[in-house]
Amino acid sequence: MAAPFEIRDPIHGFIELDEWERDIVNHPVFQRLRRIRQLGLTDMVYPGATHTRFEHSLGVMHVATRMFDAIVDRRSDFLRATYKYNDAGLKRDRRILRFAALLHDVGHAPFSHTGEDLMPEIESGKRYMHEQYSSAIVAGLMKDVIESHPHNRCHGIKAQEIADFLDERPTGFQSETMSAGRHLFWKGLVSGQLDADRADYLLRDSHHVGVAYGKYDLDRLLNTLTVDENSQLGSPSLAVEEGGWHAVEGLIIARYMMFTQVYFHRVRRAYDRHIVGSMRALLEESGGFFPPPTDEKNLKEYLNWEDWRVLGSLDEGREDGAIILNRGHDRCVFETPESPGFDDGQLLEAIRKELGNRISFVDAAERSWYRFDKSEILILLNPRHSDEKSRNLSQLSSVVKGLRAVNQHRVYVPLADRDRCQETVDQIRKDWGKDDD
Amino acid sequence: MMIRDLQVPWPRYALISELAYRLFDVHPQFGKTALQKLIYLLQEVYGVDCGYDYRLYTYGPFSSQVLLDLDLVESVGGVSVNPVRAGLDGYKITPNENGGLVREQAGSFIDDISEELQSLIEDYGAYSAKELEMRATIVFVERELNRENGELSAEGLVKVVHDIKPYFSDMEIKSVVKQLNGKEHIKVTG
Repeated sequence: MAAPFEIRDPIHGFIELDEWERDIVNHPVFQRLRRIRQLGLTDMVYPGATHTRFEHSLGVMHVATRMFDAIVDRRSDFLRATYKYNDAGLKRDRRILRFAALLHDVGHAPFSHTGEDLMPEIESGKRYMHEQYSSAIVAGLMKDVIESHPHNRCHGIKAQEIADFLDERPTGFQSETMSAGRHLFWKGLVSGQLDADRADYLLRDSHHVGVAYGKYDLDRLLNTLTVDENSQLGSPSLAVEEGGWHAVEGLIIARYMMFTQVYFHRVRRAYDRHIVGSMRALLEESGGFFPPPTDEKNLKEYLNWEDWRVLGSLDEGREDGAIILNRGHDRCVFETPESPGFDDGQLLEAIRKELGNRISFVDAAERSWYRFDKSEILILLNPRHSDEKSRNLSQLSSVVKGLRAVNQHRVYVPLADRDRCQETVDQIRKDWGKDDD
Repeated sequence: MMIRDLQVPWPRYALISELAYRLFDVHPQFGKTALQKLIYLLQEVYGVDCGYDYRLYTYGPFSSQVLLDLDLVESVGGVSVNPVRAGLDGYKITPNENGGLVREQAGSFIDDISEELQSLIEDYGAYSAKELEMRATIVFVERELNRENGELSAEGLVKVVHDIKPYFSDMEIKSVVKQLNGKEHIKVTG
């Protein structure tokens, strides 16, 4: 077997690829990810945040593989008994998982999640998501590079099998060659409560942004990753052995900190809004939306959109484009606490009514792609003993129990009107007895 | 209704509060799994669009939005979520003092779906989390297989569900499939 290719990664050191994976990485669809920033215009706040989906995708493949290997090393007997695996089957599914992890983001719009606001509606109130673009691109435009590679002769992997891993909609939970049980079990490593995507982006974003909030003990997490055979759920699930309890706490706290300090940063959210406005102007001819991922022509047209094209056309992006060029973003004049109560909601409403159409937009944490909720991650107590049992971390950890979902709301106004609006808000707060909050 | 204008999803919050209220004396332990599965069944079997997107995992149909909403309803006092036996047996969701206020914010939503909620509780309200887990998974798989392939046999459905839920026996799954088919909550042949 040929020596692997190695790519130096700032988070994981050397990431290895074989020839087949290198050919996929060199495909123009994957190379486009070099031109899709991981965090949109977060660099308007944190100048270091210019990293791309390209390096994140390599990182997710690397972490997903480590997770897979950790589980196989630790629970090979379980996998063989429950999912009827042999060595060849494990090897094949490891390969599929690596491809799925590598390709999970090829369907991202310019500026990553921010661009998702411009995806067309599938039906009333529901939009396409980047996962559906990823799935369609892999099954269509990347079919040849996946299926026709000489290395595939001994695997017979279909592009559709990988595409099924990526589509977040309910369909595709089983394929011709991978049973529903196996498929769902491994899919949890690509998108689930404890997945390689999250495991990578927290560390990577933290590194590039220049904060320490996203750091946690990945090695300990991998070292304790296992399978819970809890009959209560009727199915095996990913879990972490008791020894990794605090590593998982670290991961959840990292999510909370990164959400409040980076992903939901008030200035970053303003620029999310402005870049969407700019792109909508650029997409005017197609009704302000990207083409749907329904055929090859649309997919090719969609893939022509990337950050460089948008940034190079900001002067055509009307008012929002000009705001970005001049760093004259909308300003936040009021925000609720992270977990608002009824009173806070009523105060927000009073401010909203008073400011009326002077408001640019009202933002809500719940609508952010990175919103913070308390994941239910299983901890396996007394692993490998007769009294082994699993519990949700939030039941065991007073730290996690104490965290609340973030549902902060913010009111933004145009820069030119900020001072007058702020005066109005301050007066209302005073009238409500909330001026010392 | 003032806060509703802000696009706060009060109907979803009100639903959680209402379920806690109605299941207080009915469900053996109305916890997070039961909440997930009951809302899923309300959407799929009784056609109430609550706005949740469910995906299938090894642990059955799941929406992270439900967990987020539960946390938010708890934070405004719409429900209480308390650990059972110091957290060793999961959680119990019970009504709390602001439950009425939360439901009020949702306008007529709860009244509009009252009949469907009543049917849900009569049909599924007394099942344990484990029993709901199996029923919700069967409904999910049946919907997807029927959408893709048209006519679906009971045997085919049992096979796929067993593959996802290997700790439920074929017999157990078969019996529930028959029961759900009889109620016309799923559609299989044979």
